[in-house]
Amino acid sequence: MVREESSPGSGSPRSAASFVWLLPAALIAVATGVSVAMVEASARGPVAVAGGVSALVLAALGSEVARRGRVIAELRRTVTARDTALARRHAETAHLAGTLLPDAVQRLRKGEFPEDVLGSLTAPEEHQAVVRVVVDAVVAEEDLRESAQRAFVNIARRVQAIVHQQAQELRAMEDRHGHRPEVFGDLLRIDHGTALIGRLADSIAVLGGARPGRQWSRAVPLYSVLRGAMSRIIDYQRVELHSVTEVAVTGPAVEPLIHALAELLDNATRYSPPQTKVHLTAVDVQSGIAVEIEDGGVSMSEEARKRAERMLRQAQQGIDLNDLGETPRLGLAVVGRLAQAYGFQVSLRSSAYGGVRAVVVVPQELITTVAAASGLAHGIGASSVPRAAVPAASPAAPVPAQVPAPAPAERPATGPAVDAGGLPVVERTANGLPQRRRRQPLADPPQAAAAAPAASSGQASPTPAAPAPGQEPTPQVQPGMWLAAFQSGLSGEPNDASKGNSQR
Amino acid sequence: MSEAGGGDWEENSPERLYVITGGRSGGSAPAELDLVTLIVARSGAKPGMQPEHAAIVQLCQSPLSVAEISAYLRFPVSVVTVLLGDLLADNRIVARAPIPPARLPDRALIEAVIDGLQKL
Repeated sequence: MVREESSPGSGSPRSAASFVWLLPAALIAVATGVSVAMVEASARGPVAVAGGVSALVLAALGSEVARRGRVIAELRRTVTARDTALARRHAETAHLAGTLLPDAVQRLRKGEFPEDVLGSLTAPEEHQAVVRVVVDAVVAEEDLRESAQRAFVNIARRVQAIVHQQAQELRAMEDRHGHRPEVFGDLLRIDHGTALIGRLADSIAVLGGARPGRQWSRAVPLYSVLRGAMSRIIDYQRVELHSVTEVAVTGPAVEPLIHALAELLDNATRYSPPQTKVHLTAVDVQSGIAVEIEDGGVSMSEEARKRAERMLRQAQQGIDLNDLGETPRLGLAVVGRLAQAYGFQVSLRSSAYGGVRAVVVVPQELITTVAAASGLAHGIGASSVPRAAVPAASPAAPVPAQVPAPAPAERPATGPAVDAGGLPVVERTANGLPQRRRRQPLADPPQAAAAAPAASSGQASPTPAAPAPGQEPTPQVQPGMWLAAFQSGLSGEPNDASKGNSQR
Repeated sequence: MSEAGGGDWEENSPERLYVITGGRSGGSAPAELDLVTLIVARSGAKPGMQPEHAAIVQLCQSPLSVAEISAYLRFPVSVVTVLLGDLLADNRIVARAPIPPARLPDRALIEAVIDGLQKL
């Protein structure tokens, strides 16, 4: 009763209320006074004493009760204050755990400096301390991980360097022993094995957060990119390269694309029966170029597909060597990583063949025209015509029998330079870069057609010269008339050139 | 980072020779293809041909020896042999052994003639 009165009030009501406890004592005192007045005189003394004592006791009790009431009120106030403080603290802690720490860790992961992260915190002192401790721990952990990744990348780089060296030497050896098929075959196998090692090293480098490997300063035709990808998988013979749109991939994107496609091709060949083919095509799409890899293997269940796509997504968010687990399946992780870094879109679907169809969409900005591409891309073209040594009028002096061995550019331009019709063997741009030669055939057939009747006129019977062995596999198409002109051109020295030219 | 990728590696193409030949080393190529066999294309290149095939067909519009093709394409002879084998099988080219050089009389005969002349 006292509390209720006193708690809301303050000032005078409170002071009035604070004397309520005197009321019973006053009542008793009044009652005592009345009793004393009413009883006989002999009893007045004891009654007065009893009344007075009880009034005093009551007063004492009342004051005690009032005091306790005040204490209780005081305590309630502190308790509610504590409650609110506690609730606030709780909210703050929740904020710390739910927002501050994750934010801080997130920002650290994104590469912000720990000082910046700590400096921008608005939190109570203790929470800042907590965050600081956590940030320190995270930084230490990240440093550790980073150094581990650096070590991985470092090792991968060394392997790559060796592999590159090896590949170059192998290419030199292949050139040197190119005329001995037994040795050459072995070299090709070693070369293939080396390329596989190189891919593994590239994968480790990519997962370590680095670029896949070598860099290309010039654009490379897509066709070469696709075959480059094929050359890095085990079962490259099972890959069938279909139509490829005639574009080139800009230099910086070449290696990542080759690597991503190689991993997808590897998956496709690995998870399809060995006798099936894997189909590789590249077509134009609105947003760029879509490279499709389709295998005839076991179809992916919806669940497996989801898992694979999840893995791709995970990798895009950032996966590292530590996340790969005991039996690392590098492939999709690498693809996801590369896709994220270079903006490829990768999707896996069920194929109409029953297997898996992987589509990589290369964005438009990574695509350029073939003309910009390196002419060396096919390993041919750059040197096909010794440019300086092409006398435009040099008539065919086709006595190449005297050529004992390949001796590159300094030889006189005997055959190939001679397209007397003015058709360069390999189309070239103004600055000397060779262009794709596929365009040429469109210009050619009329000539060939013209050549055939011209040659056929006088050549019903083959020339006396021994029929070429090459004829044997191809008898049904009457090679005679055409070859004969050529042969007579060969045997008749004086007019060979003119005849050869007249055919054109 | 890129130290491994420098140098003249860039001069090469990303594709290795075994992809170009499909893993064949030329061991089973037609026997008539040796360095001096002359190759002539039957027609121009068709779209959709493997670029190397197209390049050979282009080169061989006039007769060219295997060795020369190899030199111009900068491919080892075995690779060229494999590619030529494909083209032969497709009837796109014709191969012909070169004219053997005129046979010289043997040395003994020449010496005999010289002796006879000197005795005159």
